Amino acid sequence: MEQLIEQLKSQIIEALNFEDLTPADIETDAPLFGEGLGLDSIDALELIMLMDREYGIKLADPKAGKAIFQSVRTMAEYINANRTK
Amino acid sequence: MKTIHEIEITTTEVILDRKPITVQESGDKMLVELYRRYVGDYPKFFKMDTLSRLGFIAAELLLKQSAISGEQSVDAIILANRSASIKNDTDYLATISNGNYYPSPALFVYTLPNIVAGEIAIRHHIQGETAFYILDTPEQLEQIIQSTLQAQGTTQRTALAGWCECSEANKFYAKIQLLRTI
Amino acid sequence: MIYCIGHSIISSLGVGSEANVAAVRKGRSGLKIYHDRYADVEPFCASLFDTPQEFVPLCVRCIEDAIGHLSFDICHLPETIIIVSTTKGDRLDLITPAKQIAAHFGNPNLPIVVSNACTSGVCAQITAKRLLEAGMYEHAIVVGCDLQTRFIISGFQSFKALSPEPCLPFSPDRKGLNLGEAAATIVYSRQPSAGSSRPLWTLEAGSIHNDANHLSAPSRTGEGAYRCLMDVLQGTTPEAIDLLGVHGTATPYNDAMETIAIERAGLQNIPISALKPQFGHTMGAAGVVETIICMLMAKRKDRTAEVIKMLSGFGGVNAAIRLKI
Repeated sequence: MEQLIEQLKSQIIEALNFEDLTPADIETDAPLFGEGLGLDSIDALELIMLMDREYGIKLADPKAGKAIFQSVRTMAEYINANRTK
Repeated sequence: MKTIHEIEITTTEVILDRKPITVQESGDKMLVELYRRYVGDYPKFFKMDTLSRLGFIAAELLLKQSAISGEQSVDAIILANRSASIKNDTDYLATISNGNYYPSPALFVYTLPNIVAGEIAIRHHIQGETAFYILDTPEQLEQIIQSTLQAQGTTQRTALAGWCECSEANKFYAKIQLLRTI
Repeated sequence: MIYCIGHSIISSLGVGSEANVAAVRKGRSGLKIYHDRYADVEPFCASLFDTPQEFVPLCVRCIEDAIGHLSFDICHLPETIIIVSTTKGDRLDLITPAKQIAAHFGNPNLPIVVSNACTSGVCAQITAKRLLEAGMYEHAIVVGCDLQTRFIISGFQSFKALSPEPCLPFSPDRKGLNLGEAAATIVYSRQPSAGSSRPLWTLEAGSIHNDANHLSAPSRTGEGAYRCLMDVLQGTTPEAIDLLGVHGTATPYNDAMETIAIERAGLQNIPISALKPQFGHTMGAAGVVETIICMLMAKRKDRTAEVIKMLSGFGGVNAAIRLKI
């Protein structure tokens, strides 16, 4: 799980072009949207694509992303339970 | 129409109000260098495509000059180029290649040339007109700027207007002015 | 005054403005579900030509149809400007096809391409009005066109913006938009006699405003659209408007935003026309297609009418025009 969390942080930085951040800058339990990283709706769509590309998870309803993308930890838990690759 | 401030950005040079700005880097890296030196507090910059980064940096430097000289806010953003959003279109195409099909929404949103005008409008909260034209030559833009400002009435108007072109990676050119009707 | 002296639409519903408006009156729709048109792309619902079209010949055919009734060769005149409205042009190239269209008609001026996302078709008409009013040209041929591609459909799917079924603008059950392809032309002139002896529509006002809020999400207060509506209402009253052509993409946010802007501008009692269920979202053509349909649908018994056409798009841009006859 911890390994997945670290890997996910790197993938988020890469996918969302956070050139000024390192994985250590992202807190595992901090909110991804609003406060915290301050992601927006396009970032959410990009995270949906990331889950498809890296873990083979297809999320048809973008609204479902709200619960999954609360923090890096919730995202990792969801990936762990649903990954197909 | 009076030019209040003017910036010209090539891949190796930046000239603001006829004075060169010293830069260490060139090409795409030079735009990042300028961001770090003159802006620094707008991480959305890193999400932008090159065309938007170019227009964004040009607008930042122009409007900094404008703040120094005490000019009023901008009423219109009128930009043009020849290649539309082709550089970013090519990047997006790479995400939908056969056998590796993962279309990127973050790239897709930049596959429209007018997005650079939108980025500048968001950054400086400009709720006036934003428009993007694709033209064969920069000279054609003069008619458009003149007729746009003329149509907006007799009150004094300020516009951010000019050429903003990026045809491929590390190949771009901008010449943008802050204009005022007399 | 800027007069509309000719127009044409070519879509999957037919060739010519009259054929298209007749199809709309009959409630016909060009929308169909496509399962394997493009590799990898999920099934989608769109209004496409049965036979795939090429950008330049389609625009040429549409312009020819719009100018066919004129008694003079408007295209080759140095006082005529050709304005192309498109977002993706011909295989991502916008300037080359525009120059090919101008060259085909022997027009001596370099064409102007307006590429302002989904608002392009209305913005191009505003550009025409300004160039004519400034006395720079006598006539402007505005042609809007976009053809659907794997590029565009995949992008909108990545945005989760497409409805898999025919779209439902302003419905509580709306699930998103459908794309479409079409070409449409409006010819504007400073000279009413250039058209015919019949009454002509005039382009009265135009306005463009940015929300300055978000690249892909409309303002929650409809600020930019509201400002456009207020601008074009100058010189008339909400009560005088017979028809308001909305964008009506059937995405949850767009239609909510437009509702707010329309109410704020005092236009909530005016009949609205949302044409995406007939044509799909024809992108660069949408503003031109939908303006023509509004003109043809709005005429009253005494043959006077006043319409507003509004659009909003990516990059936070909004635009509106008002026409009168």
